[in-house]
Amino acid sequence: MIAGVPTEFTPPGPDSFDLPPIIDGVDWFTKPVLVSALTVVVIVWFYWAASRKSAIVPSRLQFAGELGYNFVRNSMARDAIGSAEYMKYVPYLCGLFYFILLNNVAATIPLVQFPTFSHIGWAYVAAIMTWVIYNAVGIKKHGLWGYFKHQTMPPGVPGWLLPLMIPIEFISNILVRPISLSLRLFANMFAGHILLLVFVLGGEYLVFETGNIALAGVGVVTWLMGLAIAGLELFVQCIQAYIFVVLTAQYIGSAIAEDH
Amino acid sequence: MSEHEDPKPSPPNAGDGWRVLSYLIGGVVLYGGIGFGLDRLLGTQFLLPVGIVLGAGLTVLLLHFRYGSRS
Repeated sequence: MIAGVPTEFTPPGPDSFDLPPIIDGVDWFTKPVLVSALTVVVIVWFYWAASRKSAIVPSRLQFAGELGYNFVRNSMARDAIGSAEYMKYVPYLCGLFYFILLNNVAATIPLVQFPTFSHIGWAYVAAIMTWVIYNAVGIKKHGLWGYFKHQTMPPGVPGWLLPLMIPIEFISNILVRPISLSLRLFANMFAGHILLLVFVLGGEYLVFETGNIALAGVGVVTWLMGLAIAGLELFVQCIQAYIFVVLTAQYIGSAIAEDH
Repeated sequence: MSEHEDPKPSPPNAGDGWRVLSYLIGGVVLYGGIGFGLDRLLGTQFLLPVGIVLGAGLTVLLLHFRYGSRS
């Protein structure tokens, strides 16, 4: 420990994610609630404005809206679900993708800078919605018994191995999928945010609190690293939104696929 | 509709890798869990690692049947 250090450095931890309510006394109204509500407003406004005056020759806004919609529709929904039935699921997938994307990217936007999905409850609810949908459409298509057979009977496995394989299929298709879906999103957002906090707060401590010129130099380097991490995080935020929705589409696709 | 009449299965993409991962987790958790439970029940120590390895092996076999034959 260096002599004359005024305060001990308190590293950021899970406590850093417990934000106080914005208005005193309204406990549920915290930053993630506000940010997610704003993203919903932005998404609804954007698609409403983009589709309000549909024209053969699209305006720039309409073009952007169609680009964003087509990305989800073609490269996620149609590829994973198949051209016969994918249109039904495009609204959910599109809404889900832009909701997760905007809430993730909010962690990079100045002044907002908080990833909603770093609170695991948000990720659980998104994963549960996906889980309910793919199981429900599967049961609707194959019937309850047929659906379980469809999800747990791996094709081409010799009969004597089936008793060993069916439990694996059941566990991974029915139980592990929603858990991994939510944990992947939550953990990436949580880890990215805490990494940024460590670099920024650590740098701030080194520069302002230590009173040591050499350590202040290290602090500046720390900030530069933090900037690089922020760039990486922006990439991770987009990838995680993409992965979540691609997997949702694939789960729906495999639930309603015909047996071969 | 004619532009996307596509009878071939779609090529593997990022999602397939994550699905494979959830199979691996499922197999290891299931048979590792059975091994752990049997260890507790019988007072032995070796069944948890045996279960984990067995689960991983069976899952790889399962993945071979599920994804390997797609050519």
